[in-house]
Amino acid sequence: MTLRPRRRQRMLATVIALAALTLTGCGAGRSARVDGVSLVKGGTLTTCTHLPYAPFQFKQGAKVVGFDVDLIDLVAKRLGVRQEIIDTPFEGIKSGQDLGTGKCDIAAAGMTITDKRKKVIAFSSPYFDATQALLVKKGSGISSLADLTGKSVGVETATTGKDYVDAKRPSGVKVIEFEDLATEQQALATGQIGGAVNDLPVWLYYIKQHPGGFEVGTQFDTGERYGFGIKKGGNPKLVQIVDDVLAKAKSDGTYARLYEKWFGRKPSK
Amino acid sequence: MPRTRRTRLIRGSQYAAFGLLVLVIALTVDWPSIRDSYLDPSKAAPLFPAILTVALKNTLVYTAMGFAFAVMVGLIFALMRLSPVTPYRWLANIYIEFFRGIPLLLWLFFLGYGVPTATGRQLPFAPYSAIVLGLGMPAAAYLAETIRAGIQAVPRGQVEAARSLGMSASRAMVSIVIPQAFRIIIPPLTNELIVLTKDSSLVAILGVAAGTEELTKFGRDQLNTLVNATPLVVAGLCYLLVTVPLSLLVRRLEARNARAQ
Repeated sequence: MTLRPRRRQRMLATVIALAALTLTGCGAGRSARVDGVSLVKGGTLTTCTHLPYAPFQFKQGAKVVGFDVDLIDLVAKRLGVRQEIIDTPFEGIKSGQDLGTGKCDIAAAGMTITDKRKKVIAFSSPYFDATQALLVKKGSGISSLADLTGKSVGVETATTGKDYVDAKRPSGVKVIEFEDLATEQQALATGQIGGAVNDLPVWLYYIKQHPGGFEVGTQFDTGERYGFGIKKGGNPKLVQIVDDVLAKAKSDGTYARLYEKWFGRKPSK
Repeated sequence: MPRTRRTRLIRGSQYAAFGLLVLVIALTVDWPSIRDSYLDPSKAAPLFPAILTVALKNTLVYTAMGFAFAVMVGLIFALMRLSPVTPYRWLANIYIEFFRGIPLLLWLFFLGYGVPTATGRQLPFAPYSAIVLGLGMPAAAYLAETIRAGIQAVPRGQVEAARSLGMSASRAMVSIVIPQAFRIIIPPLTNELIVLTKDSSLVAILGVAAGTEELTKFGRDQLNTLVNATPLVVAGLCYLLVTVPLSLLVRRLEARNARAQ
């Protein structure tokens, strides 16, 4: 009778020791270096993004595809690694937190280069020219923010479109914030809002997918350009490689081919 | 009016009101549009098998990890609350009241964004560590109270008998009281498991890599892809697949406990 509790005690001690061993053992050897580029996870270029943002990144079945995904795949190929995509809230991406804390190596999220973001993120050279646009239901006759007086306009959380609307909206227009693009689109489709502001290419793709239902009421030329984000001061070699890959893709026609694949027309320049 | 007639009249009017409600719903609701938006088989078919092999599996794994952590930590805090050492009781009370009062979503944000910002690095084993701590620590606060109630519900005579056999106080607690306490609290413990199964839907805010999405995130993604609400309905059914059997189990266990008393 006295033997059993002691045996149980010994078993407990073994279990605790084993648990401690696995906890300490697994921590090592996760990050890695390739060509002077440090990666948070060996053999993988980890990309942070916020889905869905068609045609830049969105889910097709179980796979994440899009213009940004294809461009980052070029970078991953150059490094000889595989791209892994993490879908995470946009606040963490644009604040530089996800990059700074080693959640991912690069952020590709249709992200506009702004002075504020530059303080916390190292940006690649611009890879896309974008403007903001107001999407409305076809035939609604709305062609400016002022036309929405007494109605609501939808924006996406933490985006430059939201900043623009907050700054420029007439006093009678109510701004409603949505957590992602899909809920913003649904709100417009179901008539909860009279118009929705987001980046023009995103709306053009949406109109193409839903012919006859929607149109661009107006564009706001904000001169925005997208860049890929990399940890500020933490990975200069990766910034350089991304810029190299972008320059090469632009000169050898890969960029134009991908542009046409996702936007249905050739790049303007 | 005689009493029996009045009772019958009231009951009859309740049935009539219910019947009217059903009729109004049946006549006013646009059934074809409900079927197309929520119950479209052609939108449900492509969800399989991934909704079971990936999404439901992840929901179960996250819940199990959080629950295992919560039971262990909850037991420790339950014992601390019952401890004769005053600072232990304070500590346990602070922990329990803190986590019972904090929204789970806020706590997850703190682990996923607050801690990495303050320390400049991700938690080790992220995101699994954040999932375990995020779901487990608040659940441990609830379980601590449940386990404490269970320990106190074990008849005093059990401890006295164990002590008179020569067991030390701690030996009596580990070998005699705690096993019986857990037997008593299986129904509320199962209820907490049901709650945790649903709460696991919030971990998506920690960031999701391919293959790590749980049911709710999976449903939302497919809602975006298919532009149809059927995936949400199917995801909801998957939760019920887990929670309803657990609920039935709780009822049976409660009935058995009631009979035993």
